[in-house]
Amino acid sequence: MKTISSRRDFLKRTGLAGGGLVIGLNFLESCVKEVVNIPVTASPMITLENGFEAKGALDLTDFLQIKPDGNVFVSLTKYEMGQGVSTGLSSILAEELEADWEKINIRYIKSSVSESDITGGSTSTLLHWDLLRKAGAFAKYLLIEAAAKEWSVYKDECYAENNHVYLRGSDVQLEYGQLVEKVIVPDDYRSLFEQVPLKYRSKFKLIGKSLKSKIIPDMVTGRHPFSIDVQLPGMKYAAVLRCPVFKGKLLRFDASEALKISGVEKVVQIEGVLLDEATHIRDGVAVIANSTWAAFQGKQAVTAEWDLGENAKIEHEKFVADCHEQLANAKGTEILRIGKKIAEDELDNIISYTYEFPYQHHACMEPLNATSHFRGDSCEMWVGTQSADKIIANIEKHLGMPRENIRINCHPSGGGFGLRYSSEYAVESLLVSKAAGGDLVKMCYTREDDIKFDYLNPFELNKHTIGIKEGKPISWDFKNVMANWGGLLGWMYYDIPNCSGTQVKAEAFTQTGAWRSVMANAEGFSTECFIDEVASELNRDPLEFRLSLLPRNKMVDFKHSYQCNINRLRGALELVAQKAQWGKPMPENTGQGIAVYPYMHGNGYGAVVAEVSTANDEIKVTKITTAIDCGLVINPDQVRQQMEGGVIWALSAIFYGGTEYVNGVVQRSNFHDNPVFRIHEIPEIEVHICENDETQPWGVGEIAGPPTYAAVCNAIFATTGKRIRKLPITKKLSELA
Amino acid sequence: MIRLTINGKHYDSEVDPNMPLLWALRDLLGLTGTKFGCGIAQCGACTVLLEGSAVRSCSIPVQSCIDKDIQTIEGVEKSSYRFLQEAWIEEQVPQCGYCQSGQIMSAIGLLKNNPSPTDEEILNAMSGNICRCGTYPRILKAIRSAVEKVPKNDSV
Repeated sequence: MKTISSRRDFLKRTGLAGGGLVIGLNFLESCVKEVVNIPVTASPMITLENGFEAKGALDLTDFLQIKPDGNVFVSLTKYEMGQGVSTGLSSILAEELEADWEKINIRYIKSSVSESDITGGSTSTLLHWDLLRKAGAFAKYLLIEAAAKEWSVYKDECYAENNHVYLRGSDVQLEYGQLVEKVIVPDDYRSLFEQVPLKYRSKFKLIGKSLKSKIIPDMVTGRHPFSIDVQLPGMKYAAVLRCPVFKGKLLRFDASEALKISGVEKVVQIEGVLLDEATHIRDGVAVIANSTWAAFQGKQAVTAEWDLGENAKIEHEKFVADCHEQLANAKGTEILRIGKKIAEDELDNIISYTYEFPYQHHACMEPLNATSHFRGDSCEMWVGTQSADKIIANIEKHLGMPRENIRINCHPSGGGFGLRYSSEYAVESLLVSKAAGGDLVKMCYTREDDIKFDYLNPFELNKHTIGIKEGKPISWDFKNVMANWGGLLGWMYYDIPNCSGTQVKAEAFTQTGAWRSVMANAEGFSTECFIDEVASELNRDPLEFRLSLLPRNKMVDFKHSYQCNINRLRGALELVAQKAQWGKPMPENTGQGIAVYPYMHGNGYGAVVAEVSTANDEIKVTKITTAIDCGLVINPDQVRQQMEGGVIWALSAIFYGGTEYVNGVVQRSNFHDNPVFRIHEIPEIEVHICENDETQPWGVGEIAGPPTYAAVCNAIFATTGKRIRKLPITKKLSELA
Repeated sequence: MIRLTINGKHYDSEVDPNMPLLWALRDLLGLTGTKFGCGIAQCGACTVLLEGSAVRSCSIPVQSCIDKDIQTIEGVEKSSYRFLQEAWIEEQVPQCGYCQSGQIMSAIGLLKNNPSPTDEEILNAMSGNICRCGTYPRILKAIRSAVEKVPKNDSV
């Protein structure tokens, strides 16, 4: 029997303020501590590309704390970057705990010793749904037992509600805070955790409601704790002059002018590290100063000579031409095969088009930054990240520091969108601290650094070919050329009897990474533009044609984490068509376009109808109607937020995306030459959430983008007769290719 | 020694007179609510009020701010513009939140000069502030609703 005294011992040792009931979480069964260890398997599905497998391990000794004053502190098991996990995840726990929502408080985790989790793929809620429910119900169970013991009654006579335990049929009650010191954790707590009864959906009070965000009040007062705002005693500021070409080398540098700048203290060399094939800390020169401004000035004053290497010879146009050549001739790797290969002479007609999705910049509003303290055989870091796990693994691998000695203070981020899934900026800040002789340094990218050294969405070509017989598509082949990151998804949700898919990996000359909706961007864009073209060539209505290829009650196995549920996909498509009044008469110079796409990383389904106007030679998106099936809805307003944001994200990519390389150097530098949508450019946006029978929540954050690209391009076709097969596009109709 | 008056409080600091106000606020005075976004007055994340007008603090040297009234996000809670922050909460505007200090300061700048703006005037005034999460529809709604709730001086 674990007693309070042993818990108090623990609390004394960890110095956890406030006391009360503390429940730790450990995803690794092998690591048993005196605290309540709750083994849970919640493996993130993304395999890290640098050879470190994410085990979904999360060691949180203060995962849940209920203090004697009744306040409940929940440590986030996922990283907050604007997608709303602080509120969404804590509401799931609060639901089962029967906590007073007003007494729920959020903690950002300090990640150390064990691996922490990663955040990506629209999986936070779906992966931690079960864990958070069990944790809340488990704590509630312990509190009810404590109350029953206190009152010398059976626990069935007690129930929990609104942060209290009540004795049925009486006025007797105790607040959670009054019970926390009386809790006794039984020996069989592990099986109790696994078997603890959970609430029926019909009894939910918080889940399904648009609860207000726990963190917005701090955001509107400037108090939200971004890592860029970290201020620590003795902290210096750093900026790094990096090699402008991926994999180039520093030959020599001259710091004499930089050192004359007031506030500049040191100028040190940073030796690049290849973290993995696609992730690279570049050779550079770091300027350490007493303010960010002085560090930025000093960086400008450093002169450096580089061996730019092979990548400086790359011309973007040649790279694109090479990709097209490979698309035409390279054999590639087969990633999809359904049915058989159909000979061309068996077909009445073949329709085939190629679609180009460009490099895309993240341009998160908070420029990349991290604060690091190198202490020889240990270190501490303050950073906004999507993967402390990768940071820890890379420090261990490349700096030879045991992971027990690495402490990462995880801050909420000013946007992640996949960029903060890379770890190079974090590890780089530690290299700066090391090179500066162990100074505690806050390293901040300038916006120009943030754009030029971005981990871009990879350039992709997708060629789709459909074979028609007797007016029906009977074969579909697609072939993809992509550089560096990810791979062809090949999610074939349309019911075509014979399908094949091939991927060709192109030789990359730059750094690429995860970018909101990842590979579904290019594949969603191309697949849904293509099916629209086929519908049009067969004189079919785009909605009716899609629905005819989406048979009811079908589950399609993509050999992915989840099966594609065609009913849910259809549901989103039918709802958006109804809400947007698909097919309604449209005035001159306007048109509607439609698209649907499953996002299987998160098993969420999205559909979009776009309305476009081309009056006065300007292509203008006037309205976007969206529908989403994200399973059981935790917080409808947060779903709407994510859909609105995803639509605007996609619109920026359609009109302003891409990047330009000259001699291997990114030419864009800041918001003047890498524009994104501004408030006066946005259309009216409607979000509709599908009713469904799912018993758990699914992904939300990356659902809107893929169908938005295609719906807008299809609407442009409906308005102008011009097909878009390459992004970005101009806003001037007369300049449209 | 340079004296700055921020949110009604005096701050004396040894600072390079050419340092942009943004970095003096953030790195020297610890007022980190004002954000660094671009450094070239393109994104609006660093917006503060200088003598009541919304300006980009990344592009104004501190020497131009001496003897002038500077208002930052840290002072809004206790100002007569708290209702804007409340409107932001009511409409659940922020996602990542990073640009929102600047958005709110720009909105205050707008309302100071034009207490009942039209939609077009709101869009115009707010078009210098970038949000990457796409909170624009809610920013518009929040300003609209705040404007409706504020008692108009001219109607008194």
